[in-house]
Amino acid sequence: MMTTANTLTLSTLETRKLKRTGYVPAFLGGGLLAAMVPVLNMAVRREIYVSQSGSPFHILMDANWQLMAQLNIFLLVCGACILYHTEYADNGIQRAETLPMKASGLFLGKLCILFCSCLLPLCLETFSLLACCTRYFPKTPGLGAVMLKGMAFELALLLPTAAAMLFLSSLCRNMWMCLGTGVILVFLTSMLRSGNLVLAAVPFAAPYRMLHQFTAGQAGRLLLLSMGEVALFCIIEWIYTKLRRCFQ
Amino acid sequence: MNSTNIIETENLTKSYGDFTAVSHLNLHIRKGSVYGFLGPNGAGKSTTMKMFLGLTSPTSGRFQIDGKSYPRNRTAILKDIGSFIEAPSFYGNLTGEENLEIIRRILGLPKTAVADALELVGLTQYKKRLTKKYSLGMKQRLGLAGALIGHPPILILDEPTNGLDPVGIHEIRTLVRSLPEKYDCTVLVSSHLLPEVELMADDIGILNHGRLLFEGTLAELESSARSAGLPTYNLEETFLAMIDADNQKGGGRI
Repeated sequence: MMTTANTLTLSTLETRKLKRTGYVPAFLGGGLLAAMVPVLNMAVRREIYVSQSGSPFHILMDANWQLMAQLNIFLLVCGACILYHTEYADNGIQRAETLPMKASGLFLGKLCILFCSCLLPLCLETFSLLACCTRYFPKTPGLGAVMLKGMAFELALLLPTAAAMLFLSSLCRNMWMCLGTGVILVFLTSMLRSGNLVLAAVPFAAPYRMLHQFTAGQAGRLLLLSMGEVALFCIIEWIYTKLRRCFQ
Repeated sequence: MNSTNIIETENLTKSYGDFTAVSHLNLHIRKGSVYGFLGPNGAGKSTTMKMFLGLTSPTSGRFQIDGKSYPRNRTAILKDIGSFIEAPSFYGNLTGEENLEIIRRILGLPKTAVADALELVGLTQYKKRLTKKYSLGMKQRLGLAGALIGHPPILILDEPTNGLDPVGIHEIRTLVRSLPEKYDCTVLVSSHLLPEVELMADDIGILNHGRLLFEGTLAELESSARSAGLPTYNLEETFLAMIDADNQKGGGRI
């Protein structure tokens, strides 16, 4: 309970540091861009999709999610880079490290912000998908529940990528290095196929997967793996912070 | 630990591979004093200060600050210390006031603390300006404000007058000198401006190649230098002669 309260306090402080960094406009703009994907696709090629049988949400996800997910991952890469760039640009991190707070607090506060930031593009994308479903497809019972479950699954699968990218950003004083590495990882992991459950859970690759591609058991295991990965990156960051003190 | 000392180190050592930055350092900093930490570039002053702040871990040895030891009481130690290390550290995208507000919130200080700190260093009229647009002297003052906010019992200041004009140097010197009496605090200050240290320090410690060559009051330094046949006209002469003698003795890098 105490830890949660502390993390929330730290997140509030971290939010203050983001003033004038372009962080919120980046997520808003990126979210809007991703939300435009199904709208434009339906405007141009609606015949291909409306003739298909099955849940409209699944049809739209199959048609658009690869590109939308890639934009979401790019947003996380940029967001994580901005979060640590504010620390390294004018050496603010040194001041933060000499203040009485836990060494891991900085990372946890930023991770909390990045997690919450994922909600903004995902909400915009959900509205966009909902609008396309209601505009182009006949009314489907239970669509809202299917959509919510599907997007909640996508949110959960974005979290390991957020944690991994934030860890990477904490390693690099030069923002261009972590940005470049992040972009390379986005392209490399987009080549991983979803057949293997473990490969499907790899950060940067996981957000491409969709709930309806898995059985309930597989989806549960994927979610557990994702949560495990988030915890793993937090532990690695904690160890890194301790080790860094010995060498700097 | 001697009760009159607020900071004590015992064989404090920091090595990076086969290079020893600080070697078996035994410092004794009296409570309520201004301690001038002197040494040529690379002598180990900043490394020692960084160890006190938990920015870097000692390779061996230990230190106590106000009876608390590192790393067990790291957070408690940091609560008592206001610091300014090497160059000013701040968030360039925030104003001076916003930078201090972050520190205030972490330290749990009253809202008035920010205005007090800005007033103390003469930055009140620039508080709404983005810090990335501050001049070097203003950044230095902001760094000092960050260290002084809330009047911590211990201040660790590494080259606080770097980048300041003569008027600024005088102001900071007067401020540092007045702190122990005004706020009952202890100041550990390093500087290359030896006449400044001479004017503000009660005790001094001279470091060369990571080793402590001298520790004591200015009067003790003078008497020690005289008995060693070194010049004693002023601190600068004595300091230079002491470092030179140590270098000739082969007090090079360990």
